[in-house]
Amino acid sequence: MKAISLLLISCGLCMTSQAQDDLSKMFKDSTGHQPVIGTFKSTRIIMGHSNETLKKHELDFRVAHRFGDAGGSFGGGKTAFGLDNSTDIRIAFEYGITDDLMIGISRAKGSGDLTQIFEGLAKYRILKQTTDDHMPISLTVFGNVTVSTMTSNDDATSPSHFDEFTDRMTYVGQAILARKFGERLSLTLSPTYVHRNRVGYMDENNMFALGGSGRIKLSKRLAFIAEYYVPFRSQSSKDYYKSQGVEFFNPLGAGLEIETGGHVFSVNFTNSTAILENQFIPETRSSWLQGQFRWGFNISRRFSLFGKKDWKK
Amino acid sequence: MKRILLILGIVLGTVNVFAQDIYSCRNASFSFFSSAPMEDIEAKTDKGVSAINLKTGAVYFKVPVNTFQFRKKLMQEHFNENYLETDKYPYAEFKGKVVEPAGSNLSTDGTHDVTVEGVLSLHGVDKTYREKGTITVQGGQVTSASKFNVKLVDHKIKIPTLVIKNIAEVVEVTVKATYAK
Repeated sequence: MKAISLLLISCGLCMTSQAQDDLSKMFKDSTGHQPVIGTFKSTRIIMGHSNETLKKHELDFRVAHRFGDAGGSFGGGKTAFGLDNSTDIRIAFEYGITDDLMIGISRAKGSGDLTQIFEGLAKYRILKQTTDDHMPISLTVFGNVTVSTMTSNDDATSPSHFDEFTDRMTYVGQAILARKFGERLSLTLSPTYVHRNRVGYMDENNMFALGGSGRIKLSKRLAFIAEYYVPFRSQSSKDYYKSQGVEFFNPLGAGLEIETGGHVFSVNFTNSTAILENQFIPETRSSWLQGQFRWGFNISRRFSLFGKKDWKK
Repeated sequence: MKRILLILGIVLGTVNVFAQDIYSCRNASFSFFSSAPMEDIEAKTDKGVSAINLKTGAVYFKVPVNTFQFRKKLMQEHFNENYLETDKYPYAEFKGKVVEPAGSNLSTDGTHDVTVEGVLSLHGVDKTYREKGTITVQGGQVTSASKFNVKLVDHKIKIPTLVIKNIAEVVEVTVKATYAK
């Protein structure tokens, strides 16, 4: 009898002492599906877009440069390995309307059939990879419209001869699939569609391409990045241009990405001369193997606008 | 047989009494503030949880670190990715006990100035803290509040020299919780 009561009491004490000491047992970790952050440091990789967008009220001021051929007949010491010849320059203001939607405007020098280009762009995050792999990938869509403001070429067969205003326009639509594998590695795959309203003889108004890119973080602030695009140009078009002495190459870029607080610098080498997708995908005519690669850089500076008062509440 | 029932009754009764002394909170608010040469840094969250046992003086806090909201979203990204490494260390947790005033009854109505001692686990590093706070009991409603300093170096949170002017080495943490049974 005594034994039973002792047992019961000790049982009771056990229960209560557990409850006292470890209050942590009262809470289960139920944070749900957490989105993966920082798949890429910037909205761009080297040439093309990453899956990242600006957050609400963020303004991104971007400057990108591509220089002249480092090697080949236009490169070498006399042009300081291409530094004297800037092939393309793009200056952009981009802005986050919501945490998932951004818009932007830019001006690019342009390198290819068209030059003096204004661009309007929009980018939206549809899916976000989660840490528990409930959603294994991120998906972002990007689209832009460009208008060339160059003087129309007198030669009626030239791609830069404009009969109508719409002849000056090109478009890009892109889906960016991305996944961050652990802390260091991020990869993307980007099915892309380029439409140019006016192109040269035997060139293609519509072109599909597949882009792929990767980032390997070397440290918290330094990463190696590489990017490659395969444009699907028809064989007949390739053959025709080859007979005219023009060959197209797949754009390939590699570089380093350095983050310092609010800035992201990307220092890179590419064979493509142009910065906009509308041009580097269908119109890259320079080859790595012939020394026709160039030094380039992208600089991004992000500012947080507004929201100071809202945030204080 | 009667006696057994009686003992059972007492035992269950005690369990109940103990359970009644535990209060919990599912929206504990945490904020931190630091003043650095370049800019003040501030972030807050109300996604923390807390529990308190008024009988034993045991207190518990836990917060998912990635729920802290910054005005500058880029700063928030860096906070999660570079400094607190929230993928690796998702939670900050504090387990402690009221050590002063010793043996006082916290259940009585009024504001109790207390000293709490316990271990804060932050960024995967445990450190013992002894900090002052208040526990207020008013007609069955319990609130707790505290303000204390955390030195980043104590929790191996590394700030690169490049941004040292933007980030203070000591941050002031404010905790508030309102409990229900």
